[in-house]
Parts: sequence; C-alpha cells; structure tokens
Amino acid sequence: MFKSVDHVQEALIGQQYICDKNIATVVFLAEQLEKPVLIEGPAGVGKTELAKVVSSVTKRRMIRLQCYEGLDEAKALYEWEYSKQLLYTQILKDRFTSLMDSAQTIREAAELVGKEDSVFFSDNFLVARPLLHAITSDDAPLLLIDEVDKSDPEFEAFLLEVLSDYQVTVPEIGTIVATHKPLVFLTSNNAREMSDALKRRCIHLYIDYPTEELEARILKTKVPDAAEDLIDDLVQMMQRLRQLDLKKTPSISETLDWARALLALNATVLDEDLVNQTFNVILKYEGDVRKAQGELGKLLEKKTAEAKVEAPSQAEAPTPATVKKGALH
Amino acid sequence: MQKKILEFTNILRNSGIRVSTAEAIDAFQALDLLSIGDREIFKDALRTTMVKRGEDVPSFDELFDLYWSGFYDSLREQFGEAANRLGDFGIDLEELLHQIAEMLKNMEGEVGDLSELAKAMLTADLNQLEQLIMNAASAAEINIENFLQIGFFSRRTLEQLNLDGAGDEMRDLASALEQAGMDPEQVAALRELIDGLMEAARKVVRNFTERELQKQNHDYMEKFRRETLLEKSFYHLSEEEIRRMREVVERLAQKIKNILSIRRRRLNKGKLDLHQTLRRNMPHGGIPFELVFKQRKKDRPKLVILCDVSSSVANVSRFMLQFCYSLQEAFSKIRCFVFVSELGEVTHVMQEGDINEAIEDALEGGDVINVYTRSNFGYAFHHFWQNHLAAVDNKTTVLILGDARNNYNDPRAWCLRDVFNKAKNVVWLNPESPSAWGFGDSVMDKYRPYVDIAEEVRNLRQLAGVIDKLVL
Ligand SMILES: Nc1ncnc2c1ncn2[C@@H]1O[C@H](COP(=O)(O)OP(=O)(O)OP(=O)(O)O)[C@@H](O)[C@H]1O
Ligand SMILES: [Mg+2]
Repeated sequence: MFKSVDHVQEALIGQQYICDKNIATVVFLAEQLEKPVLIEGPAGVGKTELAKVVSSVTKRRMIRLQCYEGLDEAKALYEWEYSKQLLYTQILKDRFTSLMDSAQTIREAAELVGKEDSVFFSDNFLVARPLLHAITSDDAPLLLIDEVDKSDPEFEAFLLEVLSDYQVTVPEIGTIVATHKPLVFLTSNNAREMSDALKRRCIHLYIDYPTEELEARILKTKVPDAAEDLIDDLVQMMQRLRQLDLKKTPSISETLDWARALLALNATVLDEDLVNQTFNVILKYEGDVRKAQGELGKLLEKKTAEAKVEAPSQAEAPTPATVKKGALH
Repeated sequence: MQKKILEFTNILRNSGIRVSTAEAIDAFQALDLLSIGDREIFKDALRTTMVKRGEDVPSFDELFDLYWSGFYDSLREQFGEAANRLGDFGIDLEELLHQIAEMLKNMEGEVGDLSELAKAMLTADLNQLEQLIMNAASAAEINIENFLQIGFFSRRTLEQLNLDGAGDEMRDLASALEQAGMDPEQVAALRELIDGLMEAARKVVRNFTERELQKQNHDYMEKFRRETLLEKSFYHLSEEEIRRMREVVERLAQKIKNILSIRRRRLNKGKLDLHQTLRRNMPHGGIPFELVFKQRKKDRPKLVILCDVSSSVANVSRFMLQFCYSLQEAFSKIRCFVFVSELGEVTHVMQEGDINEAIEDALEGGDVINVYTRSNFGYAFHHFWQNHLAAVDNKTTVLILGDARNNYNDPRAWCLRDVFNKAKNVVWLNPESPSAWGFGDSVMDKYRPYVDIAEEVRNLRQLAGVIDKLVL
C-alpha cells in the first residue's frame, strides 16, 4: 500500500515511469478508495504502461482483458464446458445406475442424484477467463481492462455489474464474491464515449501529451545514451508537430522510437537530412510527412539564424553538436 | 469543509457538469486520505472523483480557481503583505506574536477575551479566517447581480464579520500592552500591523464579493450557452459554436444508439431455431444444452440522403450528416449524395477517416461537384432520376435536405414524384419555416405533394426530433 502521493510518484519513477503529481494522486486514491480508474487520452501516452508499472511496484499480478468489438461474457468471464460435463455424465452413468438400484421410489432416486449435484455443477466445468481470474485470485491482482471503448455498449453494461461490487453470478454455481478486491484500471482512446453509469463508478484520469519538460525527462530516462542536445531538439520538434493538424499525431511511443532510431544512426543533433531519412518512424501518412517537412524547414531556418546571431564570425561558427541548448526556441 | 465541498459541487452542477451524490461522497473520502494543504493535490482529488469528461476539465479549472485557490491565495497575499511591512521596522512577525502571547498570559483578566476574528488575525490563522469570512458572507446572504452591488455586499459582509469590533479589540490590546511596559518600538510595530491587517481583511472581503459576482455570471453564461445551443438558429454560428454543437450532436446520437441497442437485444429473441440448435449441440452428442433462437429479422431501413450543400444551408447539412453517420448501425445501408446544381455521390468519402473531416469534405463537394454555382434542385433531382433511381426501393427512406430555393429554375417535380412512388418514405428537412415555403423562389410547394414528412429544421432541437422519428 502506498503511503502518500509522493511515495507513488517516487515508486513510479523508480520503474522508469515519469509522471506528474496528478497521475500519482489518482493512483494513490485508486488504491485507497478501492475504486477502478478510467484512464482516457490519445494513443501512446502511456495508459497501458501506467497499469503495468503500477502492477510491478505494488507487486500485484497483472491480469489483462483486451477489449474488442464483439467481446462477450463467455470470453471475458467464463465458459461452461458442456461437453466435459456430458462426458462426466456418461462415464459415471453406470455408477449412477447401481447407486439408484438401492432406491425404492422415484423420489428417493431423485434425492440420491440430488446429493451428487455438486459433481455436475462445480467449477470443474468452468473455464475461467480474465474477469473471473481477477475475482477469484488468492492475492489482490491488478486487472487491466484495456481499450474498453472498443467493446460494445452491452458489454459495458455487464462490466458495470462486476465493477460495482466485485462479484459475479454464474447461474450454474451461484454468486462469487471477490476475496481480495482487485485494483482495476480501464483504458480508453475515446473511440466512443463511455456511459455515465460506468464513469460514476470510476475515478477518472486524463493523460494528455506530455509537456516539453516531462517529455525530455522521459527520454533521458528511457534512452539514456542519447545526447542532451539531441533530446532537446527532438522534444521541441515533437511538441511542434503536435500543434499541426495531422492525421495521426505522434505520441510518446513515437518519440522514443525516434530517439532510438537516431541513436542507432549515431546522431548527436537533428539536421535536415537525418530527419527526412527518419520521418517515417514517427509519421505514418504521406500527407503528414509533407506537412511536417514544411514545419521542419521553418524550424531549422530559425535555428541557423539564431546560431548565426550567437556566433557572428565565420571562424567561430559552431559545429552542429555545440549549438547552444535551446537554440530551437 | 464538507459544506464548502457540497457548495462547490452545486456550482459545478449549475454550470452543467454532472456530479452525482455518490461522486461527491467519493470526493469527501478522497480528501480524508490526503493532506489538503497541497492545493494541487487537493484539486486533482476533486477532479478525479467528480469530473469524468475531458471537455468539462477547462470549466472545472476555471470554477476551481474562482471558488478555492482564488480566495485563499488572495487571503495569503494580503496578509503576507501586512506582515512584510513589519520587516521595514526590522521586526520579525513571529517574534512579535510570541511576545504578545507571553504578555497576554501575564495580563489575564485585564484585557477582555479576544474575539475569534481578532485572534485569527493576530495569529495569521488563514484557515480560520477563511472560514470566518465564508460564514459572514453566507450570513450576509450575498445575492449579487451586478458590479454596482459589490460595495453594498462587501459592507454587509464586513458588518457580519464585525471587523471594526475586532479592530477596536486589537487596538485596545496594543494600548494595554503599552501600559504593561512593552517596548515602544514594538508597540508601534504592532499598531502598524493592526492597520495592515484591517486593510487586508477589507480587501479580501471585497475580492470575495467580486468573485461571487464572477461565479454567478459564469454559471449563468454556461447554462445560457448550453440551452441556447439547442435552440440557436443554424444560420449564424461561430466556429466555437459549431465545435460545441458537434459535441451536443454526438451526445444526442449516443443516446439514440443506446436506446437502439437495448431495443435490439429485446427484439432479438425470436422463435427456437431447431436446425441451428441441433447443429450447435453436435459436440454434446445431440443433447440440446444450448438453445439457438431465430434472430428476428431486423427491418432496418435503407437510407438515401440528398443533401444540399450550398452555403445557405451548410450548417444544417453538417449536423444532419453527422447524425446519420453516427447512427449508421440503425440503417442497413446508407448512400449519400450532395448537390448544389450538379449532383455527386460522396458515400465513399464518408466512409473514410475522421467523421468531421469527411463531413467538411462532403460539404466542399467531395471533389465530385462544383459548389460555387447557384442552387438548382430541379437539375439535381433530374440527374438523380436518370442515374440513381435504382438506389431506391420500397425499403428505402429518402432524406432530402434543402431550402428548396430554386433560383427560378424549373423544379422538375415529376422526378421527385417517381422517387416518391418507389420509396418507402420521403422525408424533407427544410431550414426555412413553413410560412415561407412556396414564396419567392421557394418551390417547396411544388415538391410537397411527393414528400411524406416535411419538417422545418432550424435548430438542433428540431433536427434531433426528426432523427428520433427516423430511427426509433
Ligand atoms: N510517462 C512515461 N514514462 C516513461 N515511458 C512512457 C511514459 N509514457 C509512455 N511511455 C512509453 O510510451 C510507450 C507507449 O505507451 P503505452 O503503450 O502505455 O500507450 P497507451 O496510452 O496505452 O497507447 P494506446 O492508446 O495506443 O494503447 C511505452 O513504450 C511506454 O514505455
Ligand atoms: Mg494501450
């Protein structure tokens, strides 16, 4: 159990998840209040990662339910194995017949069978799926319901029941109540808006694209070998790209990929050729690349202009690697 | 504290953020767990428990500042200033307060008990002060409507607070301390401090009243904006209003979708399907463990949209298209045509990518028609009749959107008659009021006989009403 918001923040950073107090506060409250967290935000800002990291710092086993269109109870909660049950019935048929021989009346026979009910209606025939695993787990796990916005409204209604009292009803067996309440994280890309009822049961976290400062810290942590200047240039470029009206706005995951790609090319600073060579790492659409190239041109022009002001004499012109930090501003 | 949070909850509600009682309780519990000295954490805790929609966050931030940090901050600022001025005397506030406390102990009985307010001011107990001022304000029944009343309500709050009384008490205290032999320099500093504190308190109360006014304005504006959005005529919309309206359409569409999905589930259970049941239960040796029911045949209509995209009706077209495409699953098939004079099919445009972009594309003619001509409904309908009449059958609802202002061209109403005869329904949405139909260059009257339902759609409420009828 976390002791305080600061404690959460430190623990997450310890696992290389860089976050502000806002995220830490919500995680802290989720555990204390035993409430599910609905995490919304654009793709690639670290929603899933947050759940993973929290599971590892709290030493909770992570159980993941990936949502998609058409996901139903049978895939999420449990399936009843009729064929196995049938097999049992057939194998045990002879035993039953002999058992029933002792019965005088039909009623007695029925009672005898009734006594053995538990053989036929037991979790022997229950194939557990993630939700059931989460509820019946011996230790309190972390249940990640990923991309819940992809599921159908019907499934959402069903989830609601599970999340309100952490119990499920299996008609063949009865109601199963969680012995250890799982910590639940739901993520959504807002493909559709979740119902008010679901939102009421959750506390809410909106993760947006990171600020310049936060993004630089994430890069420094995750790609420690990258040069500082490169990181600064890169982050500024990303921040600008996000202002453009792109079909797919690049996210933290793209920034990380880009940094790693540039590192592999031994880059220490951003220049035009390099960027053009590697744009496809962060931008997936031709149209987006074109828009971004325009922006890049402007950016580099400004950078050279500023570099000139700082070093007016040709002889002292800085090599790109020594261009002063923040020259892109 | 609880009272304040409830009050804040009401303020959120008044400006349209839906906060349930359960969520307010969550907020209480959250605050119990946190040290609320940290305003950022305090704010995050309120937001995570009470605000669940991204669009509501800016509104929440604004209200939070008005209600919480604003007041507290101004309190701290004003009192900080008063304390700072002491620095000019080379006197430390802590030290001075300590001295006073010592002397007070020795003078028991000689000075009357200090009031709560005087005590809070002298010890710079900001939390207590905040509470006292809030109580006074609520006793003063601030119900402020315009800025001329700021002075009036500030005075009334100050009276309730009895600030002047506290001032007298503090000055008496200074004199008593002087007589008891306090260092004259310190007494002078204390008098200075008292003046500063009095002034600070007055300013804080005034600030508070001003904020009260802003708050009420904010609530009012928000409510007004939301309500008028539904009624607002499509003819004059700002960019911002278009953006907000999109959200409203999205929400309305979602509501309809939910109703549809519940209804479909109910309808789905048809008769037992023997054939499928046997097949499905083969693995169980043919013993029917799982029953399969016939799916009721869904009689979802086909939809053909004919949409005027001339600039006079662009906004209606925009939101109508958004509705239709948000509700695709209510129809078995949608085909969409746009026209001004030429007619072109944009079904494919509407199936790609972001819906808003697609709609803007379609309004631009989707690269298939020229939108910079004058409206000619007759020409467009004739073109449809020649090339696409086959798209219409007795399961098809034809939805036409336009003002029927034909620029005195030939209406060619017979084209619409043939469509009408083949279709299940023809629905016409016209942004003009019926009293204008058929006047000037409007040829609505010529088309009216071949339209099952003709509706005026001038604002969102009317549009939502028609869409309801169409799919439910
Ligand atoms: N705050 C952060 N600190 C460190 N790494 C981060 C942070 N945020 C995101 N990342 C990294 O970014 C990548 C993408 O994160 P993740 O897959 O969790 O995104 P997501 O929000 O779940 O995206 P999607 O909506 O596409 O599922 C991961 O590799 C993760 O390590
Ligand atoms: Mg994810």
